[in-house]
Amino acid sequence: MVKLSCHHCGHSWDYQGKTKYYATCPNCRYKVRIQPEKPPKPELTKRDLEPRKTLTKDKKLIGIAAIVNRVIERYQHDKSMLIQILLQLQNDFGWLPREMLTEVSKQLEIPLNRVYQIATFYKAFSLAPRGRHLIRVCMGTSCKVRGGDRILDQMRKKLGIEKGENTPDSRFTLETVNCLGCCALGPVITIDDEYYGNLKTADLEKILSKYS
Amino acid sequence: MTVNKINSAKDLVDFRRIIIEKKDPLEPIIAVNVSTCSVALGALKVLETLKKELEKSGIKEKIRIKEVGCAGLCEQGPMVIIYPDEVYYFRIKPEDVPEIISKTIKRKQIIERLLYQDPATGKRVSHLDEIPSYKHQLKLLTKNNGKIDPKKIEDYISVNGYTALSKALFEMQPEQIIEQIKTSNLRGRGGGGFPTGIKWETTRNAKDDPKYVIVNCDEGDPGAFMDRSLLEDNPHSILEGLIIGAYAIGAYEGYIYVREEYPIAAENVFIAITQAKDYGLLGKKIMGSNFNFDVKVQRGAGAFVSGESSALMTAIEGKIGEPRPKYVHTAVKGLWGKPTCLNNVKTWATIPLIIIKGGDWLKSIGTEGSSGTAIFSLVGKIKNTGLVEVPMGITLRNLIYKIGGGVKDDKKFKAVQTGGPSGGFIPEKYLDLQVDFDELDRVGSMMGSGGLVVIDEDNCMVDSARYFVDFLLEESCGKCIPCREGLRVLSKTLGNICEGKGEHDDIGTVEDIALTMENASLCALGTTATNPVLTSLKYFREEWDQHIKDKRCIAKACKSLTDYYIDPKECQACLICLRECPTKAIEGEKDQVHWINQEKCEKCGICYEVCKFDAVKKLSGEPIPSKPANGMKPIRKGVKQ
Repeated sequence: MVKLSCHHCGHSWDYQGKTKYYATCPNCRYKVRIQPEKPPKPELTKRDLEPRKTLTKDKKLIGIAAIVNRVIERYQHDKSMLIQILLQLQNDFGWLPREMLTEVSKQLEIPLNRVYQIATFYKAFSLAPRGRHLIRVCMGTSCKVRGGDRILDQMRKKLGIEKGENTPDSRFTLETVNCLGCCALGPVITIDDEYYGNLKTADLEKILSKYS
Repeated sequence: MTVNKINSAKDLVDFRRIIIEKKDPLEPIIAVNVSTCSVALGALKVLETLKKELEKSGIKEKIRIKEVGCAGLCEQGPMVIIYPDEVYYFRIKPEDVPEIISKTIKRKQIIERLLYQDPATGKRVSHLDEIPSYKHQLKLLTKNNGKIDPKKIEDYISVNGYTALSKALFEMQPEQIIEQIKTSNLRGRGGGGFPTGIKWETTRNAKDDPKYVIVNCDEGDPGAFMDRSLLEDNPHSILEGLIIGAYAIGAYEGYIYVREEYPIAAENVFIAITQAKDYGLLGKKIMGSNFNFDVKVQRGAGAFVSGESSALMTAIEGKIGEPRPKYVHTAVKGLWGKPTCLNNVKTWATIPLIIIKGGDWLKSIGTEGSSGTAIFSLVGKIKNTGLVEVPMGITLRNLIYKIGGGVKDDKKFKAVQTGGPSGGFIPEKYLDLQVDFDELDRVGSMMGSGGLVVIDEDNCMVDSARYFVDFLLEESCGKCIPCREGLRVLSKTLGNICEGKGEHDDIGTVEDIALTMENASLCALGTTATNPVLTSLKYFREEWDQHIKDKRCIAKACKSLTDYYIDPKECQACLICLRECPTKAIEGEKDQVHWINQEKCEKCGICYEVCKFDAVKKLSGEPIPSKPANGMKPIRKGVKQ
């Protein structure tokens, strides 16, 4: 059942028919378009509520534009430093929102598609918000032969998410990494900047409970 | 501290003399290893406790704390060295710190239980040179790792650092340097084994300006970490080699490309560059000569393919790291289309040694085709894991059994994997092979950057081959079709075989695709991608056949082909597995033999890991024995230690 209102005569009624796209107004026989049901908007986070304006009245950069500008200034507007700039932004901000990439493209004078090409090619960049803690499970050869895939399986089950996803309470983001260079200690995971080596599946619960 | 610039060769010698004179050989120092592997085992907490405890006992001023790199025994970390007696302690926990201070520092007593224990004999030794696995090694590049503070240039200068640079700048012509490198027969340590001298000469003779030099530390090979270790623990040796190389080639600008996953390495090399600039060893008019050279650190952003030379150069240019066909070598047209000399971390670190001791000296070490030493990371199912440096030409057997101490838990050796995803598996029959570039190539593997992963009877060869294919599938840049699509089909086929859905003609398909990829891929990533699959197929064909025909995995590693089962004769009804099982698939109660309900079992393997009595067994290709009678009492045995 969809609530429809005719924009020709103003009559509104509950439509119960089967067609998906158009309904006929019972009052004036005018064809009324049925709007497909939109998915609910995601809840706004604090970050989204930050001012979107890029310039104040006295032409000073604020918000995202200012953050981007600060980093770009540090690299002296060097276009070849695009990867380093994005790495720095990702490091400061946690992820790369669309507005940020648009700003980078505007301020560095690089086409937006080039910026997106970089941001999607390299694994270090995330185009979606991340959880408060980033878990990286090492999938290197040495960690694998010592049971790294079992650690990943267990982690997926414990958190109830697949790799690359966030937990619903945005506490953790789960990712895999190809080698952390601690091969002698496999299996290894890192949470934020902490390393955990020589792991057993039974240890996971205790480690995860340290992070809130 | 005011820094006096070093303006001539004599300045450097004087400066070194001052540093050495200032050093009190009897000064008590506590050195803590803070490289990545030790940090993973809690070195930072040890360091913190150490500082607190020293303050508490009031001897903070008398004792210096030093942060050093890794001495190669990674699994034994965190390592603490007490000077002046040079006592090496391993596996230190924060709780051990007060004892170290009260016994070793104050009363000069050695704490027996913290010393290195040889896994084979159980004997404890207090000094590194007495460790059995050290006796077969030849440490040239890693000699100072674990002894000097990587964040202090003075430490490096005191162990004859930058002597080679001074010799190269003031006593040698660029052509002479290249001649020495050519005489030494040094081959690129990144894995390809291209003669370094020839590469340098080509770059030098290329008629274009400016020229660039690059250090490749995009060590993407899973299972290899020697580049990280060198850059983290002794960054100045690489920097020195790079400056000499730039002088010989005629470059004024260099880059050090470090992987995103190595934050400590990037930090240490950045500090090293700043210090070298302060002392006038880098920048304008190096050491008072007319040579100018500058270095930048570029951090990667997580792409395996960026380790390929042409892809790395596009990454430095700020583009996506995609390789290009190399009809024109990068030595002629590389970064920004200019002549570029790119070498691996280990290659650059070898240069100062050649300059000091001469090309003939390096040539005398190793085999005829490959001179010098090779650094391997011994990892996987081996007793002594860590970094080892050995002369080229050592046999795999010596490497694994004499230095590595043999297979972990005394399981049966199955294969050794060298060269990362581009290398192959080497079976037991080739263990007496002399390790060098050409010999490894001959058996279908390659030297690669030096990862050496030991695989035992518990690992399935089909599954291991599939792991590398999946790895490369994720990392392929997708530019050329053979690599992009070939890997996808390979992954699907191998996946099917591992899940027991393999068909008779699958092996033929795999071979066909592998051949196409080998011939038609654009870069070395694609052409060598099939090495793991082909060597696994060549040497372990019977395992593949078992997977396809009998639906059986002899190593019991393929999840879909394995079942877990509790042996009623062994089970002690201790309830541990029952409590740990995430799906509650284990039935039973106290004093009653447990049983796995196969319908609920998700084959996670936790019960197998936690069982102290080895009662949980894996079965593959065999029927599961029927359930024991309800209420069956366990047959009591003692706990196995």
